[in-house]
Amino acid sequence: MFRIIRKSLKTGVVTGRYPKADVSPVPIGSEAAEKTKPFRRSLTIREVDTGSCNACEMEMNALANPVYDVERFGVHIAASPRHADALVVTGPVTVNMEKPLKDVYKQTPDPKIVIALGDCAIHCGMFKGSYAVTGPVERHIPVDVHIPGCPPSPSEILKALSELRDEGCRSGD
Amino acid sequence: MADIGAGLKQLQAAYGDSIAEMSAVYGIPRLKLKKADVPVVAHYLHTHPSLRGALSLLWAVDHRPREARYELCYLFTLAEQKDWLLLCTDLQGDDRLFRSITPHIHAAKWYEREIRDMFGLIPLGHPDMRRLVRHEHWPKGSHPLKKDFRWDTVLERAQGQYAFRQIEGEGVFEVPVGPIHAGIIEPGHFRFSVAGEPIMQLEVHHFWKHRGVEKLFEQKQLTEAVPLAERVSGDTTVGHSLAYCQTVESLLQVEVPRRAKYLRSLFLELERLHNHLGDVGAICNDTAYALPHAHCGRLKERIMQLNDRLTGSRFLRGVTRVGGVGIDLTHEQLTQVVAELDAIEPDFSELERILFANASLTDRLETTGVLTERTAWDHAVMGIVGRASGIDRDIRRDHPFAAYDELSPKVALYRYGDVRARMRVRLDEIHESIRLIRDIRRQIPQGPVLTQLTDAPAPGTWGFSAVEGWRGEILYVVMAGEAGQIHRCKVRDPSFVNWPAIQWAVLGNIIPDFPLINKSFNLSYAGNDL
Repeated sequence: MFRIIRKSLKTGVVTGRYPKADVSPVPIGSEAAEKTKPFRRSLTIREVDTGSCNACEMEMNALANPVYDVERFGVHIAASPRHADALVVTGPVTVNMEKPLKDVYKQTPDPKIVIALGDCAIHCGMFKGSYAVTGPVERHIPVDVHIPGCPPSPSEILKALSELRDEGCRSGD
Repeated sequence: MADIGAGLKQLQAAYGDSIAEMSAVYGIPRLKLKKADVPVVAHYLHTHPSLRGALSLLWAVDHRPREARYELCYLFTLAEQKDWLLLCTDLQGDDRLFRSITPHIHAAKWYEREIRDMFGLIPLGHPDMRRLVRHEHWPKGSHPLKKDFRWDTVLERAQGQYAFRQIEGEGVFEVPVGPIHAGIIEPGHFRFSVAGEPIMQLEVHHFWKHRGVEKLFEQKQLTEAVPLAERVSGDTTVGHSLAYCQTVESLLQVEVPRRAKYLRSLFLELERLHNHLGDVGAICNDTAYALPHAHCGRLKERIMQLNDRLTGSRFLRGVTRVGGVGIDLTHEQLTQVVAELDAIEPDFSELERILFANASLTDRLETTGVLTERTAWDHAVMGIVGRASGIDRDIRRDHPFAAYDELSPKVALYRYGDVRARMRVRLDEIHESIRLIRDIRRQIPQGPVLTQLTDAPAPGTWGFSAVEGWRGEILYVVMAGEAGQIHRCKVRDPSFVNWPAIQWAVLGNIIPDFPLINKSFNLSYAGNDL
């Protein structure tokens, strides 16, 4: 018990100790901002992998660690698309994942937004043209926000998400 | 080759008639067999007490357009000296049939199904002829790795349903899980049959993420495919790119400078560290013990940020190159690395003491998800999972690559095969990796880090390489085509071998323990599905 308390005291607060993203995220369109309006300061995300190399998943997981602690910005990660406001999709859409992706989109209650995370989700990246890849996410479901990178770093994802939140709040005024 | 001379002689004495040709490539004895004799020779290799060959890799090559034949290659690791032995056989002309070795060698099961899907070659006598990679909606006759199948074919959609093995009886329920899971993880389908809580059967239905990686390799030049290798499985960026580069280097017959070899070992150990740290935390998190998860997440993040500072990539992308490494580190940077690890190690050791003092954590981990040594050996399981089940194999020690011949890594070995053993292997390897990095800083020589490349190799020559990534053995086989093009690239992530084994490890456990067992394996879906 004392060991745990001592460890916590010794470690202190680590949140925010990361290099800030220097790239500016892709601007959020007015349509996407409008769609974010209902969510205001809280966004519940369901992550869907449709064929990524799992680096994007690792960075999404990193968002939840104490250093980035995405929950402090009101971003919550849900276990089911039925509880989600936003879908974060990673990877090119493979032939085998096309149907599950469309199913997930259908299962997510309206209003909803879709975020394409990483180069593969946006333009298929290295896997463009392969027989096993059916195209970028946009070909199958409407995408509202793009977060490029291979993979985008957690601070870049964080920046894009807070931009989205700010836009949503602004247009709500 | 001298080491396994005795075993080879025995094999020759027993099956001399079957061996059409004997040669050695990269020190690996290669026996060319008559097609019909492969199962008996493989069975002999597998079961003979002085050979005890475990199937490490089984792959096929379509030799068209140069020659009208398919070639099947079986790579065995002999248990005593850990030497490799390669069996090959040809399917001439329009021959599409070969005898399956799965009835005797369990480890061949997925490989042969994969070959059937990708090449349309039929393994006769295979106990499970369902599709593996191609899901049921793929049209009939589409075999992507055949040379007459275009890489950018647009597939039509057919109808069909995968037939899961069913257990019937009073009170038996099926629980389908996936392909989209509750956590931030990759897609895969698990079908449980349960009676009450205990799992009676688990069937893994994967390959949702199949992206056609091996076919994409064939569209590239030998020296250009490193970025693709880095993206086979993102968490094993260095492992895969290093294995690929070493394979191409063996093909081009270039010698990598010593300093580059040391740097490769350094980056591989950094990758092992951040993944193991993350896994230890994730295993604790799956027992609802959030504190170590937070601490491990923090420590893992420190290594990822260190990677970023050193190379400009949190995943060490763009570091490995054919012929060496793309980035040289200064003495100050190496000192920085060691200083960072000097801070992380005591921090982590404190956490370890907290973990070991927690009885309820131990209670959850012990005897959960036991993979027995016998089952592990039957499936030729490797890496962390194997070493937790008493399979004493580590490429870093058995077939040293990069700078491991001068670093002599110690191999963590446990025999219980439960979740706790798999966690302990990781804990030991974290300390060992830190020790290795300290040694690397001490021993690294000065010199260049990139070597000049030679001309493209002759078409038809092949290269082979094995790397002990953080998950286990990564194998690459690359065959050169015309003008430096890749003719065939076989990628084997350890996940492909270890996934079937998880079906046995969960038996008798309760479903709520499955995420914990799965996490303790922590296999890649991307590396498996390719």
